[in-house]
Amino acid sequence: MSGMFGFGRPQPSSSEKIAAAEQEMDLITDMFNKLQQACMKKCIPKTYLEGEVNKGEGVCIDRCTAKFFDVQMKVSELLQAEAAAKGGAQGGGFGIGGM
Amino acid sequence: MDSLSASEQRELQSRMERKQMKEFMGMFSGLVTHCFDSCVDDFTTKSLVQRETGCVTRCVKKFMAGSERIGTRFQEQQAQMMNQPPPGR
Repeated sequence: MSGMFGFGRPQPSSSEKIAAAEQEMDLITDMFNKLQQACMKKCIPKTYLEGEVNKGEGVCIDRCTAKFFDVQMKVSELLQAEAAAKGGAQGGGFGIGGM
Repeated sequence: MDSLSASEQRELQSRMERKQMKEFMGMFSGLVTHCFDSCVDDFTTKSLVQRETGCVTRCVKKFMAGSERIGTRFQEQQAQMMNQPPPGR
């Protein structure tokens, strides 16, 4: 793959390319951490009566993950619409959903 | 990432390793805080009692299992997103 965010600048320098790859990695790591924090908090009770993720908790995690991404898409969509309505031509600069 | 040269790959690799180390330390301290918070609230003894030890063990185990599951779903979603770009583009 040629970089998931398709930073399509012509002839980027070495450090620019590394920085872009790094930034991409950071973004994904950050997203994963946020997702994990959110869904663990919502789906795993703090009592720890068992060490396994039980069926209900597992299903909760699955749904939580799906919804987290849905919300991400929705927010990105709304922000883009907002930006498009406001700034006209130069909207869509922040494409988290545009991977 | 296919357009990076060998030396660039190496540079990126070493940065990633440092990042992963940092990431791991952050995960570790977060997990300690979380499990301590969830399991320990009785200070009538100096060391962990059996109940607390058990709770911490389950807490860590469960965290691992949970994050593995989230990781799997995350990858699935990520792959799906790449195949179908969102509307409005």
